[in-house]
Amino acid sequence: MILALSIFPLAFSLWVTFVEYDFTVGTEHPWVGLDNFRDNLNDPVWWSSVRVTAILATSAVAVELLLGLLLALAMLRSFRGRRVLMVVIVIPLFMSPVVVGGFWDLFLRRPIGPANNILGWFWPGDVAVDLTQDGIWPFVSIVMADAWQWTPFMFVILLAGLSSISSELYEAADIDGAKPRQSFFFVTLPLLAPIILVAVTFRFIDAAKLFDIIYTLTRGGPGTETYTTSYFLYYQGFERFHLGQGTAGSWMFMIMLSFIAYWLVRRLLKPVEA
Amino acid sequence: MRLRPSSARRRGGEPTGGTASGVVRGRRRWGLVRFTFIGLYFLFLLLPMYWALITAFKPQEDILAQPPIWFPSDPTFSHFGSALNRLNGLTGIKNSLIVAFATTFLAVVIGAAAAYSMARFRTGGKHLAFWFLSQRLLPPVAVVLPIFLLYSRYSEEWLQVRLYDTRIGLVLLYTVFSLPWTVWMMYSYFRQMPPELEHAALVDGCSRWQALWKIAIPLAAPGVVSAAAFAFIFSWTEFLFAFLLTGTNAQTLPVLLAGYVGVFQGNLWGETAAMTLISLIPALVLGIFLQRHLVRGLTVGAVQG
Repeated sequence: MILALSIFPLAFSLWVTFVEYDFTVGTEHPWVGLDNFRDNLNDPVWWSSVRVTAILATSAVAVELLLGLLLALAMLRSFRGRRVLMVVIVIPLFMSPVVVGGFWDLFLRRPIGPANNILGWFWPGDVAVDLTQDGIWPFVSIVMADAWQWTPFMFVILLAGLSSISSELYEAADIDGAKPRQSFFFVTLPLLAPIILVAVTFRFIDAAKLFDIIYTLTRGGPGTETYTTSYFLYYQGFERFHLGQGTAGSWMFMIMLSFIAYWLVRRLLKPVEA
Repeated sequence: MRLRPSSARRRGGEPTGGTASGVVRGRRRWGLVRFTFIGLYFLFLLLPMYWALITAFKPQEDILAQPPIWFPSDPTFSHFGSALNRLNGLTGIKNSLIVAFATTFLAVVIGAAAAYSMARFRTGGKHLAFWFLSQRLLPPVAVVLPIFLLYSRYSEEWLQVRLYDTRIGLVLLYTVFSLPWTVWMMYSYFRQMPPELEHAALVDGCSRWQALWKIAIPLAAPGVVSAAAFAFIFSWTEFLFAFLLTGTNAQTLPVLLAGYVGVFQGNLWGETAAMTLISLIPALVLGIFLQRHLVRGLTVGAVQG
């Protein structure tokens, strides 16, 4: 049963990629060979969506790593109220991305969101940008929303890593005359590196599939500018019903992603073997 | 998440790195930076949540007020009412609950059996573990198209079951997708348990199944419970599959919410916020509860439990 649900779709989708499967055309599925793949390669939106996915995933993961690391460092030593804060920090992890998108939509969208107003406190004059549609802002908003949800992920993993570093190492560094900054760069970071790699790998793989936040926040707009590959495939398959092309795109996307994942996972497994 | 008693690492031989007063000053400055950063992060974290919270309780005319109203004066529950009654809110909650509970149950039962056999009989060996990891890599969009075709066109023809827009269809799919998590989490627990206890039970005349249900599972209870919680969260928050594989009957909460945000732009902000808050309840409860198991759950497959 489980096998059926995971193997059958794959076999079936392989067939779909080579025929013309289009709800608008009818029930005939003529064999078209590699046309579906070529359609994607010739589609400028496909290329822009791949680029957007790469940019968004990289910048989101970078922001999350930075924030998560800083937060983990800041929260490492205990203080009063720390337990409560910990609980609050991880809440976004248990939210549906749709909800996260909803939150930020309410917050950023003109005219209901207060975001413009808040920007107005720091910016001279009236601020009137739609943060989900104007200029570069949609990208910023998406990265921000993603970082809002997933920084805790980095934080939790890095905190676990940080607190497992033995204090003796810091003492040794201290005795050798290392300044705090030096002990961070020469003790903490190298020891944390494998864990950072784990966190980045998992986050990157998930971030590359970004769909829900796009759907609720920008709808891929303005135009097709914030189409991620996932959103593009959804659009091809479910809004234009070009299922053949969509499925072919899925395969291309999957293959690209597994190369990246393979590369990351191999580096991931190396320290374990050593 | 183990915590080390505070400041252990500062206790050592400090004076080597500068004058004593310099160290104190440096530490105080670090404290200031530290708490400013925590404060700013919490502002970032809580602001959208707070905004949604007050939007849910604002009367309609206050929602669009300029400048924005930060402290609503006369809160109202009308958005909750209309979201639940007029806008399918109750159906959504019911669907989500049924799907999430059924998935959790199936994923835990099947997962426990699979994890147990992997831990005790080495079923599948290394390949199975790799398969779990690879499941995580699969982008959902890549699988959803064929599953959509299967559900909407062929399931009735071939299998005589309707899967599109049914809760059964969703439960099946979610079970398959949450199994990697549940199996892995329970596997790491089973592996840590000494098999002698079960041997004793077998000697006393238990069957393998009884040994599993009466000895192994109660002992691995924390693992089982956190696996269940992860399965629940997964099916409670999943959007893409639910969105594409349901019509009106089996809509779950995230689908419903996305509909509010998208389609009726302009007058449903209060309702959106209200439903958002309702859908957060399990997240809050489980989030508090899951604290300790987070790391294991998040890195399923990569970190040996």
